[in-house]
Amino acid sequence: MSWKYLCEVSDVETNSVKLIDVDGVSVLVANYGGGFRAMPPICPHMEEPLAESGVIANCILTCTKHLWAWDLRNLSMIGETERDLKTYEVKQEGDKVLALIDGELTYDFDEEGDDDDDFFK
Amino acid sequence: MPARNHSQWTAKPPLQSSEWIDSRIYTEEAIFEEEMEKIFKKTWIPVCHESELPKAYDFRTTSIAREPVIVCRGPDNVIRAFLNVCPHRGMIIERRPSGSFFEPQPSGNPKRMTCMFHAWQFDMKGNCVYVSREKEGYQDRLCKEDVGLRRLRCEVKFGGFVWVNLDDNPLSLEDWAGKPFECLRKTLEAEPLEVFHYHKAIVETNYKLWHDTNCEFYHDFMHYHNRVTGFNDAYFARKNESFENGHIVVGTFEVNYDQYEGFESRAGLSFPHLPPNQWYMIDLFPGMNFNLRGSALRCDTVTPLGPNKLMIEFRGLGLKSDSAEDRQTRINHHNSIWGPFGRNLHEDLIGVQGQGTTMRPGSEPRRILHGRQENQTIHDENGMRHYYDEWGRWMNRMPNDPEKIFAERELIAAE
Repeated sequence: MSWKYLCEVSDVETNSVKLIDVDGVSVLVANYGGGFRAMPPICPHMEEPLAESGVIANCILTCTKHLWAWDLRNLSMIGETERDLKTYEVKQEGDKVLALIDGELTYDFDEEGDDDDDFFK
Repeated sequence: MPARNHSQWTAKPPLQSSEWIDSRIYTEEAIFEEEMEKIFKKTWIPVCHESELPKAYDFRTTSIAREPVIVCRGPDNVIRAFLNVCPHRGMIIERRPSGSFFEPQPSGNPKRMTCMFHAWQFDMKGNCVYVSREKEGYQDRLCKEDVGLRRLRCEVKFGGFVWVNLDDNPLSLEDWAGKPFECLRKTLEAEPLEVFHYHKAIVETNYKLWHDTNCEFYHDFMHYHNRVTGFNDAYFARKNESFENGHIVVGTFEVNYDQYEGFESRAGLSFPHLPPNQWYMIDLFPGMNFNLRGSALRCDTVTPLGPNKLMIEFRGLGLKSDSAEDRQTRINHHNSIWGPFGRNLHEDLIGVQGQGTTMRPGSEPRRILHGRQENQTIHDENGMRHYYDEWGRWMNRMPNDPEKIFAERELIAAE
């Protein structure tokens, strides 16, 4: 378990996100004004890439596909959101943003079952 | 006979009733609509080839009898077909002709079909997996399980073609077309095939007129190159063999490609189990053609757009295992005959478009002669007669007098 360098504080503007590769792990860094969050790069709902569809306003990260949203101050779910956002622990050291990355965080998605679905038979 | 006056021109020809057609079956809007309902919504249609959606989450869209259809390959590698219609408010779900659901789209998520209208989501099995603001709008009155896509019968068969039927309870595909495919089954199923050529033509003609050109070779007289090169007695001795369900097969013979100016023998690239330079042709009711000239397979499918408007899709196929060099040779073999600038395909289109010019909605009804009897060889018109007999059965109309009921043809013949 170790702290990994993500980026400079100035690399990610307020209310924006940036996709960073950390030793082969894809990490999304979000600057919500009150600080930084680091997370897997996809929405836990439908695998939507948050680098493209994530919008931050008033400290709320919203996936614009189905409007799932989280308050980045306390990671609480907003509205009809059904799953928690997973995050890596983050700290600032001077101008640098670091994250505690011990393996890649992933979400389980409902895989399509292998059940025989030939209902015409 | 000298030129005829109007009543002579419209009189019945001196042939058996099965030997001519009333042109209203090509021109009348009501008959066209009936064909959509009674034939195209009930028969197996090859919508594409499995090599056109090679990877999981690949899809293609098409239409059958104007119903929008999508076929996609699931993560389990199974190809399924659905109506391309959102169960919510009838929006078309996917507008692209082909592509992949694997990557996210501006209005869609990875690995799902998304209706861009209200972002409902469906997986590759047609399950609805997300309804936006489901609880808020439907409380517990309607849930995802109630709004899956409309699944369609779909089979990959006869050399990897993807067959779809809008009818849930049709004759099985094997029973529908197994017998005419018997002559090529080993050849087409020996190893995977791959589409290397696709083009389509939109022609102002009736789909049955197009199929006619695939069912008789009497129109060799239109094909300049066919007249001047390459043919031998065996060519003319081939027979049109009729099969149940309106299908026909044109028997094989050995083509002397080396007698064609600018052509070469195709023996080196013959399809598996096929004797060198052989040529087989299978015509399926209501308008599909599979044509194997030794080294290259052509498949035509018809999508009727109106009584006098037709889309024909042309595919060329080789072996998936082809080396780059062999593939190029196969493409040359295919396109030199059947490409848009090939030896005779465009001439066929001129022929049927010329028929379409004289037979439009509102054109005066006239007789179209199908009466050639030449011992069922390729200049006979028995293949067409067999086809229209099947058409009459499906439509319950007499092809030579569509106001009359096909089921009573014995009575009509006795009159």
